[in-house]
Amino acid sequence: MAQAAQRLAQRIAARGPQLLSAAVAYSKPRLATFWYYAKVELAPPTPAEIPRAIDSMKAMVRSFQTGRLAQLTVREALRNGLVATEVVMWFYIGEIIGKGSLIGYNV
Amino acid sequence: MIPPVQVSPLIKFTRYSALLVGMIYGKKRYDYLKPIAEEERRIEAEEKKKQEELQRIAKALAEGSPMV
Repeated sequence: MAQAAQRLAQRIAARGPQLLSAAVAYSKPRLATFWYYAKVELAPPTPAEIPRAIDSMKAMVRSFQTGRLAQLTVREALRNGLVATEVVMWFYIGEIIGKGSLIGYNV
Repeated sequence: MIPPVQVSPLIKFTRYSALLVGMIYGKKRYDYLKPIAEEERRIEAEEKKKQEELQRIAKALAEGSPMV
């Protein structure tokens, strides 16, 4: 038993750096791709964009009032629903940050 | 590589406001729940103490100790 444990420890010590470098080699190009897109697509709005966002929010309210909602295609409605879901998920990420724990309220 | 999509400012704005609102909500709710849970824990500990005391007395009586 002790021998087996020793062998296991030896193997981990021998293979550890190898596994680590493999993990780095695997994640490096993928992370680079992630950053390439995230820098543009996940960036917070610039101050110049905020008035434009408010304008389009007003336009959205107007289009609701004029009955644009009834003229949406199923594809458009589905896409809008997905975008709304994504935004709601951002709220939950914020809640996780605010409460300081991943699952439940650690009170 | 495909160039990244220019995300609509509205989506970006709502995303980050949702994040911020979520952070505030989580913090507020945590601060609301924390004292309640602490009070519950305190009451539970007191209850346990009382139960233990009762059990101790019952045991002492059963043993016919002249102490009680």
